[in-house]
Amino acid sequence: MSAHSESAYAELAVTTNYSFLRGGSHPAELVQRAAELGHTAIGIADRNTLAGVVRAYAAWQELPSPKPKLLVGARLVFADGTPDVLAYPQDRAGYGNLCRLLSAGKLRAPKGDCVLTLEDLAHWQEGLLLVVLPQNNEAAPELAERFWNKQISALPPLGEGARRADEGLSGAPISAIECAERPSSGLSATFPQGGKGDHFCDLRQLLTLLKTTAPARLWLGVSMPYRGDDQRRLSAWHKLAREMDVPLLACNDVLYHVAERRPLHDVLTCIREHTTLDQAGKLLQPNAERHLKSAVEMQELFATAPEAISQTTKLAAQVNFTLDQIKYNYPEEPVPKGKSPQKHLEDLVEQGLHLRYGQNVPDKVRASTDKELRLIAKMDIAPYFLTVHDIVKFARSQKILCQGRGSAANSAVCYVLDITAVDPMAIDLLFERFISEERKEPPDIDVDFEHERREEVIQYIYSRYGRHRAALAATVICYRPRSAIREVGKVFGLTEDVTARMGGSVWGGWGRGLQEREIRQGELDPHNALIARAVAFANELVGFPRHLSQHVGGFILTQDRLDETVPVGPATMENRFFIEWDKDDIDTLRMMKVDVLALGILTCIRKAFDLIRLHEGVSLDLASVRREDPQVYEMLQKADSIGVFQVESRAQMSMLPRLKPTNFYDLVIEVALVRPGPIQGDMVHPYLRRRSGKEKVEYPSPKHGDPNELRHVLHKTMGVPLFQEQAMKLAIVAAQFTPDEANGLRRAMATFRNLGTIGRYKEKFVSRMIERGYEPEFAQRCFKQIEGFGSYGFPESHAASFAHLVYISAYLKKFHPAAFACALLNSQPMGFYAPAEIVRDAREHEVEARHVDVNFSDWDNTIEASLNGGLALRLGLRQVSSFREDWAKKLVAVRGNGFGAVSALAKKAKLSKQALIILAEADSFQSIDKDRREILWAVRRLPDDDDLPLFAAAYVEEQPDENIAPLPIMALSEHVVADYQMLRLSLKANIMSFLRGLFQAEGVLSCAEIWAAKDGAKAACAGIVLTRQMPGDSGVVFITLSDETKIANIVVWPRLVSVFRREIMGGRLLLVEGKVQRGEGDVVHLVAERVTDRSDELLRLSEDEQDAPSYKAQASPTAKHPRNVQTVPKSRDFH
Amino acid sequence: MMAALKMKRRLLALWFQRLPTDRLKRLKPQALTPLPLVIAEKAQNALRLCAVDHMAARLGLHVGQPLANARAMVPELEVVPANPQADAQLLNQLADWCDRFTPVVALDPPDGLILEIAGSAHLFGDEQHTLEKVISTLRAKHFTVQGAIANTSLAARALARHRDGYIVGENGEAKAVASLPVEALQLDATTTHAFRRAGLKTIGQVAGRKRSEIAARFGASTLSIIDEAQGQGGRPITPRQTPPDFWQAQNFAEPVATLDVVRAVLQTLAVNLCTLMQQEGMGARHLEASFYRADGAIRRVGVETGSALRSPAVLDRLLHDKLATLADPLDPGFGFDLIRLAALRVEPMAPTAQSLDVKAREQVEVDFLTDRLVARFGRSHVRRFHPRDTHVPEAAWRMASAQERSPPATPWQAMRTPLEAPRRPLRLFQRPELVELAQDPLRLLWRRAARTLTHWEGPERIAMEWWRPEAPQAARDYYRAEDEAGRRYWLYCEQGQRPQWFVHGVFT
Repeated sequence: MSAHSESAYAELAVTTNYSFLRGGSHPAELVQRAAELGHTAIGIADRNTLAGVVRAYAAWQELPSPKPKLLVGARLVFADGTPDVLAYPQDRAGYGNLCRLLSAGKLRAPKGDCVLTLEDLAHWQEGLLLVVLPQNNEAAPELAERFWNKQISALPPLGEGARRADEGLSGAPISAIECAERPSSGLSATFPQGGKGDHFCDLRQLLTLLKTTAPARLWLGVSMPYRGDDQRRLSAWHKLAREMDVPLLACNDVLYHVAERRPLHDVLTCIREHTTLDQAGKLLQPNAERHLKSAVEMQELFATAPEAISQTTKLAAQVNFTLDQIKYNYPEEPVPKGKSPQKHLEDLVEQGLHLRYGQNVPDKVRASTDKELRLIAKMDIAPYFLTVHDIVKFARSQKILCQGRGSAANSAVCYVLDITAVDPMAIDLLFERFISEERKEPPDIDVDFEHERREEVIQYIYSRYGRHRAALAATVICYRPRSAIREVGKVFGLTEDVTARMGGSVWGGWGRGLQEREIRQGELDPHNALIARAVAFANELVGFPRHLSQHVGGFILTQDRLDETVPVGPATMENRFFIEWDKDDIDTLRMMKVDVLALGILTCIRKAFDLIRLHEGVSLDLASVRREDPQVYEMLQKADSIGVFQVESRAQMSMLPRLKPTNFYDLVIEVALVRPGPIQGDMVHPYLRRRSGKEKVEYPSPKHGDPNELRHVLHKTMGVPLFQEQAMKLAIVAAQFTPDEANGLRRAMATFRNLGTIGRYKEKFVSRMIERGYEPEFAQRCFKQIEGFGSYGFPESHAASFAHLVYISAYLKKFHPAAFACALLNSQPMGFYAPAEIVRDAREHEVEARHVDVNFSDWDNTIEASLNGGLALRLGLRQVSSFREDWAKKLVAVRGNGFGAVSALAKKAKLSKQALIILAEADSFQSIDKDRREILWAVRRLPDDDDLPLFAAAYVEEQPDENIAPLPIMALSEHVVADYQMLRLSLKANIMSFLRGLFQAEGVLSCAEIWAAKDGAKAACAGIVLTRQMPGDSGVVFITLSDETKIANIVVWPRLVSVFRREIMGGRLLLVEGKVQRGEGDVVHLVAERVTDRSDELLRLSEDEQDAPSYKAQASPTAKHPRNVQTVPKSRDFH
Repeated sequence: MMAALKMKRRLLALWFQRLPTDRLKRLKPQALTPLPLVIAEKAQNALRLCAVDHMAARLGLHVGQPLANARAMVPELEVVPANPQADAQLLNQLADWCDRFTPVVALDPPDGLILEIAGSAHLFGDEQHTLEKVISTLRAKHFTVQGAIANTSLAARALARHRDGYIVGENGEAKAVASLPVEALQLDATTTHAFRRAGLKTIGQVAGRKRSEIAARFGASTLSIIDEAQGQGGRPITPRQTPPDFWQAQNFAEPVATLDVVRAVLQTLAVNLCTLMQQEGMGARHLEASFYRADGAIRRVGVETGSALRSPAVLDRLLHDKLATLADPLDPGFGFDLIRLAALRVEPMAPTAQSLDVKAREQVEVDFLTDRLVARFGRSHVRRFHPRDTHVPEAAWRMASAQERSPPATPWQAMRTPLEAPRRPLRLFQRPELVELAQDPLRLLWRRAARTLTHWEGPERIAMEWWRPEAPQAARDYYRAEDEAGRRYWLYCEQGQRPQWFVHGVFT
């Protein structure tokens, strides 16, 4: 053997962490390590999955040459007791077979599992190189053990078969071994039938079978796991291999890239087996040997069977398949027969231009479409646009509102194809910036549909392209700090209370490793050895894939069978399937994905359009709403934005008066500005200062090159990067990244966060900018901004699409407040505010709101004519908690001219007693003109539903009318409380109004009075807590209080948060004393100096004072008093 | 006795408002600056508070609150997982303790007791004094407790919770409970809510409605509860100690005082008890002999067995052993007037067939021996080895009570491959012994003797348990080796700075 081939080794049994909770290293780590060790090849073979291969491929692409060959395969784990088999496709056809094989296994198993039998392998083995691993059976280790014991039963006893002493004995690896000869009968022992009727295949039979079906494509894989009898085992396999004429192949059955990963692997094993380290016992590996080993070490281990080493490279040489052979084909459906996709697209664009602009297409538009079409032709992506167009066309035909966004969506082509409603001429968007020629990546268009009707679109896609060609992309669910610490904590035997605290359960915390600060915040000592250890492992675990889930709406459509490209498995929903790759994998392989997403505001807008058409006779659609109406902007400038898409949050509301949007592009900026990216990058204040003229707009220049280079990138946003594209462009222009590097940077932020690649990019970015003569501080700040974008990127094109919906919803709110409020309520749950706030806001805009009534309400909220000629909002039965839609339908169906009596309703609508009680509790019999309390008391007298039918009718008739004393009169405050309990809102009065006298006597102001107060004035204010928020790491808490007059904004500085923590976190009705602060644009805050929890006042409302037992304080803490059942809706906290 | 039956029932209800936290506080010495204490348990997918101490309650924490919220409000908080068994046990102990006030004590779980004091209140003066005595003594023991006395348990319970210390006079229930909130009726949440919504917020208001009105809406059972709260009718209370399923007792007109007689009585009782159990196909796991002394003292002696048992001879033998070795011997005083033998815990037991299988018979013998040894020396003194699931050789076993019959997770058999020479010695040295190895020829220098090794196999690499910092950490390479005399050794080399060799055991 030549010296060269001696050092040649390929590790073919590699398990990555995409064999969930079994592999201890990322694919990239394994690929990099194999390259460091100089392996000829590395074979990624995860447990019945190809989920990790694209990650390995991406990492492999980045390796410098020479690099090991990357083999893509899978470890087949069988349900029938067959030993594991590694399968490596030789060519594209073999790869297709492997995908089909895995898909078949997945389809017959519950979600996330894969059930394979030997028969499946026999059926799909064509083109696969197979390595039988007789020592390993992942599905049933005990079977493997039995199997081995059977094989070994004829091994010679110790002494006879062991090594002779003259070979020397040392702690070092053994270098020379004489194999023991032994009778062959042991290996031929037939294996007993296993339990449950599954047959355990005898190894000889298995090898014979596979040899006949897959001649010259079969190996016997053996590893040396340091179990004491390794050499005897090896000699047994050696003999068997010779006898069966199947080559022996060495492997190390790798679970992690370096031995140091053993502890983490043990932790993973415990998580998988739901046990603790103390209890795990032999579930854990006995030693740390299953890492990637050097060729030399492998050779020493296999010194007695050197051909097993050389077979690894032989196998690798036979593989001709790489992932770039996967050719993606666009589906042909949208293209008429005999026409090229490009031609068809051009024709459609031409048609669209005429529809949009008539005969006189503006030159500028014509120029853009021509330019875009040329680029599309060059990149050969016309079918993509046609496919999206096809889906959008269907939605439009069904009157489902939709709007495209994403990198390619805001092009002139998309506009004339009606995919988007944003006129690309109105804002200057450069198409080629989004479609990178160099990257040759397909463009990305996300289409939002009404959330309640997206399913129809999905069904259309299935029916048009067939389930074998359409499937959802996967989402890799990775460990986040919170889930990681919870699981690791369990493994270390920490109680749930402790891990919950470490997970930062109160303030949230996503996307970054656990920081010492957070642990301190949880009041745990990070130096406690056990906790420190758990945290260290949790940090290591963050970013590990946990399982695959389906993407919310990313569809992969192909011309060929999808299951020959990637394994496809069933999703949770019946008849829905998803592939094993996620969006980054699809990007890497340049496949096409259409995002079919659900957006609540579209549902709301469509419902509002319908109501307006019905009640106001005005026909509107997304494109025809009057543009740039100054009244709409006026309203937004006042932060009058409850219910308006995107700009209704507290943060947006305080931004609106400062930004004072006056045109569409201002809205685009508004949407992009209040995001974690710009906030983390500290870009918000510089932008506002420049906009208000307090700071000069300037563009730092480099020492060399175009001094105006930044002006070109940033002029639209006054020199402050706000959009993701600008950040990327900044990297290209100022730090002179190549487009590929910039793209790599974007990806490093988004996905491979854990691999430390960001650091590399940061170094490069900052140093290059400094090199080119920029201020270091400026360079740092730019990078910080880019970092922020990584996880919360908001490209200009997205912002533009969203801004369009901001404008439309604001327009509806301004000019059709009744319809808008009604549509908002009917589209719940969505948005930021509870129904109570939506109704209150509508009433403030002069919409009359009417209570739920059995004679007037439908299931949905509706619009009625108002006496003053306007429109009134009639609350629907859907607002009544725990009332059911089918009850409402029954009731409405038999209503006719209305019910005159409760008994008539009960009889006609055949509603259950429970339904009637709910209606009575909700005070919805008002038009029948009876006291709520009396009706409720009467309804309760109705016989129970489960009475025998024979007696039921008679019962009601014959029961004599009771002559009973009247019940105590229901106070208005009790009414309101009852309304809140049943509807989560009350039209009768605001809860706070009952307490006004009390608070007034204490000198407490109403929210409206706070808004009118002078800057710096000392004031106190009390109200129901609507929201509590603590943005980022600031430690500041923002509270929104509400009373019968208005909403008040409270700010609590960190120092006071710790003092009044109890009140802030626990109170439902707070009294805040502090200082009024009037900011820019008339935003008023009350800066808290003292916070008092006055929630007890709420209890009085449902009590008649004189009856309240004086010894209430003694009442049982366990009894759940109805009055303790929330009387006010829960606040929405910490989003 | 007849008089007692005619007497009106008088029930004293006790309510331990903070039983779980009181239990924990009693266990621990009071810290100088104690933290608020709460008990949490998992409910509706979140950890929620199920008990709070006084301090926590004052800070606004309450039962049912999610723990996360509680922590957000009060970060400095001591949280202990719920332990309902321990609470129940404590309630039982409290009931035991209350035995001194009356023989009839009923549990009112999870946190109450009901004492029938009609016949015993006079021992402490009157009812007022009895109540005061009970409450003050319990409070001195640091229990948060409230109590009240009434004719029906429901009235007493309601008053104990809402009007601490109240004693209802003759037919005074209706008046006493009238102003209590309707929750005091302890009806289901729906009914309570319905009353409140109707504006009927006190028991008095509810009771003021027509009977037919209530019955038509909430059923006759609600009506009877309202009646009971007002002192009419009343469900019987369930005495605490439910009689065991199987028991035999003997009454003596003349108290017996000699141990011989006692033994003879026990023998008879054992025979009868076993016959009873035989008929039902049961065997005893826990037996108790109770000796009721004429002066009212009771002595109970318990015996536990490792497996179900119903052989009178064996049973008698066990009892005899136990009685003979009592640290505090049975004191008959003026004699026992009742002796009772009860099987407190039984389990199904197949009819015994004489087995030809020697092994099975041996097992029975061993079990019997174990039980006898345990009866004599105590459970913790008779032990056996159990395998433990770990790779680390010296940690692969543990000691456990010999009566523990539950099969270990890994049977011993699994630790040794049946068809091969043993991989590990049966016994390991207490401490591995440092040895030296010499090469050419391979010799083992151990205990001052050199042994030439002829065969060896290995290494078996065993990594240590890294998560136990106190345990050894260096991985070991184990070898099995044989010398020319055929003696086999289990050697290992500790991987460290300098490899060191040890003998960990010898194969027999």
